[in-house]
Amino acid sequence: MKVTIDNLSKKFGDVVGVENLTLHIDDGEFVAFLGPSGCGKTTTLLTLAGIYKPTDGTITFGERVVNQVQPKDRNIGMVFQSYALYPHMTVFQNIAYPLKLKKVSKADQHDRVRQVANVMGIGNLLDRRPGQLSGGQQQRVALGRALVKEPDILLFDEPLSNLDARLRLTMRGEIKHLQKNLGITSIYVTHDQVEAMTMADRIAVMSGGRLQAFDSPDELYNRPKTQFVAGFVGNPPMNFVTVEVAQANGRYVAQAESLRLELGAERGEPAARSAGAVVLGMRPEDIQISDEGDVAGEIFIVEPLGREDLIDVRVGPHSFIVLANTETQYRSGDPVKLKFDTGQVQFFDPATESSLLWQQ
Amino acid sequence: MIAREQLFDRDKAKLDEAPPTLQQDLIEALRLGFISILVMLAAGFLFSGVIGPLFALGSVEETVTDVLTRLALLALPFVAYIAAASVARRYTSSDAPRALLLAFVPTVLIFAVISAGQYALDYGVFAPRQSLQMTLSQTDVGVRVDAIVPGGAADTAEMQVGDVITAIRRDEVDLAALNLRLGQAEEDDPLRLLFMRGDEEMQETVRVAIVSDKQVGALLPGFVFALVFTAIILFLPGNWAPYIALVGLMTPLLVGYFWVIVATFSYRTEGLIPLDSSDNFGGFTLENWESIFVGNIAGLEFNIWPILLTSLAIAVIMTFVVLLVSSMAGYALSRMNFPGRRFFLSFTLILHGFPAITLLIPIFIVLLRLGSIPVIGDLIGFNTAGGIAMVMVAFQLPLGVWLMKGFFDNIPWDMERSALIDGASRFRTYWEILLPQIRPGLLALGIFAFIGGWNAYIIPATYSIGSGVSNLPVFLNELIDETAPVDWNQVAAVGLFQLIPIFIFFIFAQEYLLNIYAGGTKGSS
Repeated sequence: MKVTIDNLSKKFGDVVGVENLTLHIDDGEFVAFLGPSGCGKTTTLLTLAGIYKPTDGTITFGERVVNQVQPKDRNIGMVFQSYALYPHMTVFQNIAYPLKLKKVSKADQHDRVRQVANVMGIGNLLDRRPGQLSGGQQQRVALGRALVKEPDILLFDEPLSNLDARLRLTMRGEIKHLQKNLGITSIYVTHDQVEAMTMADRIAVMSGGRLQAFDSPDELYNRPKTQFVAGFVGNPPMNFVTVEVAQANGRYVAQAESLRLELGAERGEPAARSAGAVVLGMRPEDIQISDEGDVAGEIFIVEPLGREDLIDVRVGPHSFIVLANTETQYRSGDPVKLKFDTGQVQFFDPATESSLLWQQ
Repeated sequence: MIAREQLFDRDKAKLDEAPPTLQQDLIEALRLGFISILVMLAAGFLFSGVIGPLFALGSVEETVTDVLTRLALLALPFVAYIAAASVARRYTSSDAPRALLLAFVPTVLIFAVISAGQYALDYGVFAPRQSLQMTLSQTDVGVRVDAIVPGGAADTAEMQVGDVITAIRRDEVDLAALNLRLGQAEEDDPLRLLFMRGDEEMQETVRVAIVSDKQVGALLPGFVFALVFTAIILFLPGNWAPYIALVGLMTPLLVGYFWVIVATFSYRTEGLIPLDSSDNFGGFTLENWESIFVGNIAGLEFNIWPILLTSLAIAVIMTFVVLLVSSMAGYALSRMNFPGRRFFLSFTLILHGFPAITLLIPIFIVLLRLGSIPVIGDLIGFNTAGGIAMVMVAFQLPLGVWLMKGFFDNIPWDMERSALIDGASRFRTYWEILLPQIRPGLLALGIFAFIGGWNAYIIPATYSIGSGVSNLPVFLNELIDETAPVDWNQVAAVGLFQLIPIFIFFIFAQEYLLNIYAGGTKGSS
């Protein structure tokens, strides 16, 4: 089912939850709401669920405006971070509860619960109570309960946050697989950008109650339209330096204290057009420690991640996070040279924080 | 880094230290013992010499400081023995002879010091006491005078050695009874003794003297007790201490319950001992219970069943209404935002603190007016169980609402949202999802309400004056008021009868009750 959010605002007294949010979600699409805590993503989700009533704007499911529709009449399924299972009911009763409320016959309830439980791999746990299950099993029960009534829309509120890292990886794949198979329009709230990048068709990046960007993971990563998006998407985060870009003899040069980078015309030209300082953004994977490099720096600290090392290199007053393979045994204080892949550089207006390269 | 090395060095020094010698241990034990004595003396002085006079300055009559002073002095030797023996306890399992030596040497020394102090201050066993200044012994025919202090009270009254005392005035006495009377007497009180001199019955009035004889022999029982006490402290397993303290504190309560049970099944009791009409052990009877059901106690005729029913009606109505209204109001206060919510919250708290007794008369008038309305008056008016229950409910509600709000506050919002999204209406969510989560709270409040209603006295007594509607507590009071002399064994039987439903209630609710204390809800998510 198509979901249209038009100019949605939700205020709690003077506190703004969401402001002027407009989103069009296609039928069967998997959309992630990504943002730091308190950015309004869960508020938006609960407004979609009908728990909160919008202060302003409209929400449309398909062709139906649902602003005043009760949660029970919206035909949505929701999975919560805390799972929100009913502790006094068995797993069977938990999953069957939405069907019971829909007055589905006992026999049908039984069949459909069994079917969903088998899909979720919890068919043998139906007589247990939630307190007797592990976190992963509880998660599956919650998912089963959301799916059993065959909802038009599935809502996820950080469903994987309470799982351990390994289980999170498995569940991530399972949820994505399930969603693709069932083709149910899904909205997935998370603060973990890896989850959003790996699972979603499109990501809505939110900050301070406002939509920052709504694009495919690839677009968000390679063509961030605001400095916030550039900084939030990608791990480790993008390096930012305030520089001045000047054109000389048909060549473009970004300059700051102890730093001088030659740029290609394609990215240098829009940056040079802006008068005064601009913010240069560079992803850690686009900077290499190499003897061929032309920027001299000093290693401040080395953080081993296993597969590679995260190295904080100080260039004059600036700090760059760089990824290096673990074979290079760098130590704090070593002098190094950095090679910048200037073809991947991003530029932002320091005042508006919007990209100088990609138009909104 | 330096700090860490210092720390390490100090630990090492401690490990290297030689174990304390016997002499060091002895000194420590004695030091602890005497410090305890000083502390207890200081405590006694604090109560009698500082706090007591302070109260007296404000013209406050009180005996608490006096009692506390006596308690401090009574506990003084025991605290000292315990403090000293605590050193010895370290060796109880590893080196028993050393432990014994370490425990008993300080005990003897502390006993000597305390006794010397008592001797010097005329306190404790050396305190002056009432005396007739003659030595007495119990014989078959009476109390024989063995010796007389020359010039003492007995001598002045011209008692002679060989007299056999049989009675004080006309009350026959043995030696124990005589000593009891003596202990209760004040200085110069006359005791008219009836005694046999040869075959002649004679009477003399002996005036009680207060003497301080300071007999060292009186110390012996105390000394033996001190040694036994120290031995117990020495060998008592440490984890028994809380139980001993608990049992000690509970004994008076348990004795009380024991008496109630014994009394209901016996003709009369002397202390805890059931007696028959001729003061011999025995006299067990079911009469006390029988008369409850027959409906005649010492001439007061009644029918127990309507009374029981009234009690039950008040308790049950109260339980249900309190649970229903409290849980709904608690839900609203916890989950909904409405104008006046904050005011309502603080107002209920004030109401809870408001003494119900002050409202007795206004409510009396309200109930009287309600009673004159047809139909409603018969249900909740004056002189009806419904009216009484309604008033009790009103007084219980502020507590209930607050309690329930607290329990609802602890349920995660997500569970409720989940139910709403699953398709439940708001009421269904409350009823099917939230109420089961707070079952322990409901049970606790239900028990409060039931017991409150079952044992209610003031309100039923006030609003059922002179009518047939009385509940068990009111009836119990009537029983005491209107029978003379009061047959306490009958009263105990009615009291125990009143407890039976509570017992039954607790037996069935036990599992849930234990659950309340063993961690509330199950399945934390």
